[in-house]
Amino acid sequence: MAQIDLKDVVKRFGPHLAVKGVNLQVRDGEFLIMVGPSGCGKTTTLNMISGLERPTSGEIAIGGRVVNELEPGERGLGMVFQDLALFPHLTVYENIAFGLRVKKVPQAELDQRVRAAAEAMHIASLLAKRPAQCSGGESQRVALARTIVTNPSVFLMDEPLSSLDAKLRVDMRTELKRLHERLKSTFVYVTHDQAEAMTMADRIVVMSKGVIEQVGGPLDIYRKPASQFVAGFFGTPTMNFLAGEIDARDGTLAFASRSLREPLGDALPPSLAGRSIVLGVRSEHVEVGRGETPGRVQLIEPLGNESLVFFEFGGDAPLVAKVDAETRLRPGDNLTFGFNPAGYHVFDAASGARLN
Amino acid sequence: MSAVAGMGRAEAERAGARNVRRRRWRVVLRHAALLAWVAVIMFPIYWMIATSFKEKHEWVAWPPHWLPHDPTIKNYSQIFVFDVQRSGVAREATEQPFNVWGPLADSLLICTLSALVALLLGTFLAYSISRFNVGGRHFRHAILMIRMVPPIVIAIPLLMYYAIMIPLATEAVLGTRILLFDTRVGVSAIYIATTLPFVIWMMLTFIEEVPYTLEHAARMMGAGRMYTLRRVVLPLVASGMVVTFLFVFILNWAEFLLALTLTHPDVVTLPVLLNKFQSASEGRLFGPQAAIGTLITIPVVILGVLIQKHLIKGFSFGTIRK
Amino acid sequence: MSEAQVSQAPRTAPGARSGSFGRGLGAWLAQERVFRLIPFVAVEVIFVLVIIIPFLLTIYISFLKWRANRPFEQAYLSGFGNYQAVLTDPGFWSALGRTFYFAGAAVTLELALGFVLAMLVARTVRGKAAYITILLVPMMIVPVVVGYNFTMLYIDSGPINQLLAPFTQAMGLDPRIRWLSDPVAAQWAVILADVWQWTSLTFLIFLSGFSALPRQLVNAARVMGASAWQIFWRVELPLLRPAIVIAVVIRAMEALKIFDPVVLLTAGGPGTSSQSIAFYLWEQVWVFNKFSFGAAASIILLVIFAVLIFFGIWLLVRSSAAVGRERAA
Repeated sequence: MAQIDLKDVVKRFGPHLAVKGVNLQVRDGEFLIMVGPSGCGKTTTLNMISGLERPTSGEIAIGGRVVNELEPGERGLGMVFQDLALFPHLTVYENIAFGLRVKKVPQAELDQRVRAAAEAMHIASLLAKRPAQCSGGESQRVALARTIVTNPSVFLMDEPLSSLDAKLRVDMRTELKRLHERLKSTFVYVTHDQAEAMTMADRIVVMSKGVIEQVGGPLDIYRKPASQFVAGFFGTPTMNFLAGEIDARDGTLAFASRSLREPLGDALPPSLAGRSIVLGVRSEHVEVGRGETPGRVQLIEPLGNESLVFFEFGGDAPLVAKVDAETRLRPGDNLTFGFNPAGYHVFDAASGARLN
Repeated sequence: MSAVAGMGRAEAERAGARNVRRRRWRVVLRHAALLAWVAVIMFPIYWMIATSFKEKHEWVAWPPHWLPHDPTIKNYSQIFVFDVQRSGVAREATEQPFNVWGPLADSLLICTLSALVALLLGTFLAYSISRFNVGGRHFRHAILMIRMVPPIVIAIPLLMYYAIMIPLATEAVLGTRILLFDTRVGVSAIYIATTLPFVIWMMLTFIEEVPYTLEHAARMMGAGRMYTLRRVVLPLVASGMVVTFLFVFILNWAEFLLALTLTHPDVVTLPVLLNKFQSASEGRLFGPQAAIGTLITIPVVILGVLIQKHLIKGFSFGTIRK
Repeated sequence: MSEAQVSQAPRTAPGARSGSFGRGLGAWLAQERVFRLIPFVAVEVIFVLVIIIPFLLTIYISFLKWRANRPFEQAYLSGFGNYQAVLTDPGFWSALGRTFYFAGAAVTLELALGFVLAMLVARTVRGKAAYITILLVPMMIVPVVVGYNFTMLYIDSGPINQLLAPFTQAMGLDPRIRWLSDPVAAQWAVILADVWQWTSLTFLIFLSGFSALPRQLVNAARVMGASAWQIFWRVELPLLRPAIVIAVVIRAMEALKIFDPVVLLTAGGPGTSSQSIAFYLWEQVWVFNKFSFGAAASIILLVIFAVLIFFGIWLLVRSSAAVGRERAA
C-alpha cells in the first residue's frame, strides 16, 4: 500500500510561511496533481513528501508509516525533477543504473532491469549516449526510466514537462497517463499548468498561498470551482467575472450591477439578499445574439474550430464569449448577448468562497 | 543617421560604400595596435631566450646583437652540472658551473605537494561553503581578505616562528626539535596557507555550477553524502580541479619573497636561485641567468596557455553566468 | 527479501529497511556533521598555525627591544619604543609614499591599456584566439624573471639604448645611458616592468567583462540608431562597472605589495630612490637585523592595509550585489 497522508503539515522558511497547515490524503494508485501559481507551496509540499525538505511541524505518512525522520532514499519513492537532473557525466545506461548501484544490486540483475526499463520507455537505442546527446523528449524518457527502474511505490514529479516545447509536452501527457495505467503506482505531480492538470489527473489539488483551495476530480473543479481563485485558474479563456450585488426586489434573487441585471434562479438561499458578490460566467455560457443586452465587439481571436469574441457592454471590463468559427462579426460591430443561467458561478466578493 | 526610407537609391549606395571603407580602415588600425602590443610583450621574452644562446662576449656587447652570432648551448650545459665540487673551480667567474637540478627538484616537489594539499582541502571546504553555508554568509569574503595581506608582513614573524618557536615548542612537547625553517615541508606549509583562498574561490565557481537537483536526485535514489560527492559532484568538477591545480602550481612556482625568507642554504627554489645570480655576480653571468630564466618560464607558459580558457571564467568572479 | 526482489522485482515498500534505520540514521548524521566541519576545521587550523600565530608573535615582538645578533633570551619589553621609531623614521614614510606612487602610476596605466586592448580584441574576429593567448603570456611569467628580463633591457649596452642611439647621438650624448643609476628612471623601470606584466591581468578581467555583455542590449541600441561612441558611453561602460571595480581592487592590492621587480631590477637603488615599502621592510629586517623594529613596522603596515582591504572588499561585494540585482531585474 502506498497511500500518503499529510496531517497539519507546515513549512516555514525563516519568517516566511510557505505551507500553512496542509491536510491531504493521496490514495493508493491514484494520479494526483498539485497545481497553483508559482510560490503557492506546491513544490515545497512535494519536497516534504520526498524528504528533501523537513516539515516545520505536522506529520507525513507513506503507507501508514510516519516518515518525517526518514532520509529521501529510505522512503521508497522515485522522483522526476523539473530540470530532469540527469547526470551529465554518465551515460544513459549509468544514469538508469545509478539507483541500483547505490543499492548494490548484483550486476546480472542490474543489467536486466536497466534494459527492461529502457525498453519500456523506448530508449534502448540510447543507452550508450550521454544526456547532452539526447533530445528533450529523449531526456524526458531517460529521466522516467531512471525512476521506474527502482520500482518505487510512489512517483513524485516536479513540473517534469516544463522544459519541453508545446507539441512534445502534449504528447508526453498522454504517455505519462499511459505509464500510470500500466504501473498502477501512486503519482504525485506538481505543475502550474492547469491544462496539464485537467488532462492527466484523477484528482487535482489546487493550492494558493500555502493553503489548499480545493481537492476534486478535473470536471468537478471545472464545473464547480470552490472559490473565485480556482474558477479563474482553470479554463481558457479565463472566466468572466462581474462585480455586483444580490438584489431581491421582485421576490426572486437577481444579480445587479451598474449596467446589468440578471435573475439568478432559485439556486441561492434568500438570506443572501443585499450581499456583494462576484458573478462568474465561462465564455461558453455567454451567448451572443440571444439576449437583449447590447455590446460592441473589440477583438476577434479565431481558434480554428471556434472563435473568441471580446466585447464591451458598459461594465468594468470587457466580456469574452465563444462563438462559431464562421461568425461574421468584425471589430466595431454591435451585438446583443445573454447568459446561460446553468453556467452561473456565484462567489462572495470579500472571501471569494462559492455561494451557489 | 537619416532613415534609408528618405534616401534616393544612389544616395544609399554612396553611404554604403563609405561605411565599407570606414569599416576596413578600422580593422586595419585595430590589428596594427594589437600587433604593436604583441611586439612589446614578446620582445623581453625573445631577448632572454636569445641571450641564453649567446656566447659570453655577446651578452653585453655594444652595439647589442639582435641575434646570437654563433648560437651555443654552453649556458645550459654550465647550469646543468650534477657535481659542482668535482668539476672544480673555474678559472673565470663566468665559467663557474652550477647545479640547477637541486633547485629544479625542490621547486617541482614543493609546488606539486602544496598545490595538491591545498586543492584537496580547498575543494572540500568550497563544497561545504556552497552547500551548507559553513562559516556564515561572509566567510568567502573573509577568506579573500587573508589573500590580500601582504606576505612581507607575515614573513618576519614566520621566520622567527619557524626558526625558533617551533623547534622550542616541539622539544618541550615531543622531545625532539622539529625544524621547519629551510625545509621543503616548511615552505610547502606556507604555500598551502597562502594559496587556499584562491583554491576556495575558484572551486566555489565550479561547484556552484553543479545544480543542486543532481544531488537531490542522487539522494532520492538512496545515495549517501560521500557516494554523491564521489560519483556525482567530483566527476563534474574534475576539469575545474585540474585548472585550479595548475593555477596554484604556477602561483607557487613564481613565489619569491617567502621562499627567500624561509630558506637558506639547503632548500633553493628556482626564483631564489635566479636572484642569487643577480646579487652575487653583479650581473656578470647574463648567459646562464638567461638559461635559468628560460627554464623557469617555458613550463609555466605552456601550462598557462593550457588553462587560459578556464582562467577567463575563473577571473570573472561571478560576473559571467551562462 | 533480496531473493524476492530478483524474481519479481516488487515495489520497494516504504520503510522496509527500517530495522537498521535507527543505526543508519545515526551514522548518517555523524557523517553529515563530519562532512560539514572537517574541511572547515582543517583549513582554520592551517590558517591559525601559519598565519594567526605568527601574527600574534609579531605583536609580541614589536614590543620588545631585540636585535637578531643577540640571543632572543636577552630581549626585553620596551613598550611602544619600536612604534615610535618606525613612525619617526623618514625612510618608512618615503617608502610608503613611493609605494602609493608606484601603485597609482602602474595601476592607472594597466587599467587604461588593459581596457583598450580588451576592447580591441573583443571586436576582432580574425586571430582573436591567438591574440588572447599571446596577450595573457606576461602574467604567467615568474616575476623574478620579469625583473631579470628588464635588467637586460635597461643595461647600458642593452637594446633600449640601441633603439635610442640615433637620437642620443644626434644630441651628442653617449648613447650608453645607465638608466638604473638615475633615481627617476629607476622608479619608472620598476613601474614599467609592473605594467608589462600585469596589463595582461586587467586585460583578462576586462575581456571577460566584454564577452559577458548582453548582445541584445548593444543590438537594440544600434537599431535605435545610436552611434558607436554613444553605445560605448551609454551602454557598454555602465555595464562594465563591476569588471572595472574588480580590476581596480585586485590590481591595487597586489601593486601595493610590489617587491620582486624592485629586488631584481634596482635593489631599491640608487640610494633608496626606488624602495617600495615591502623592500624597505625586508631590508630593515634581513640586512640591518632590526627584528623588533620590523615587527612594529609590519603591524603599522597591516593596520593601513586592513583599512584598504576592508574598503576593497566592500567595493567588491557592493558591485557583485549590484550585478545580482540587475540580473534579478
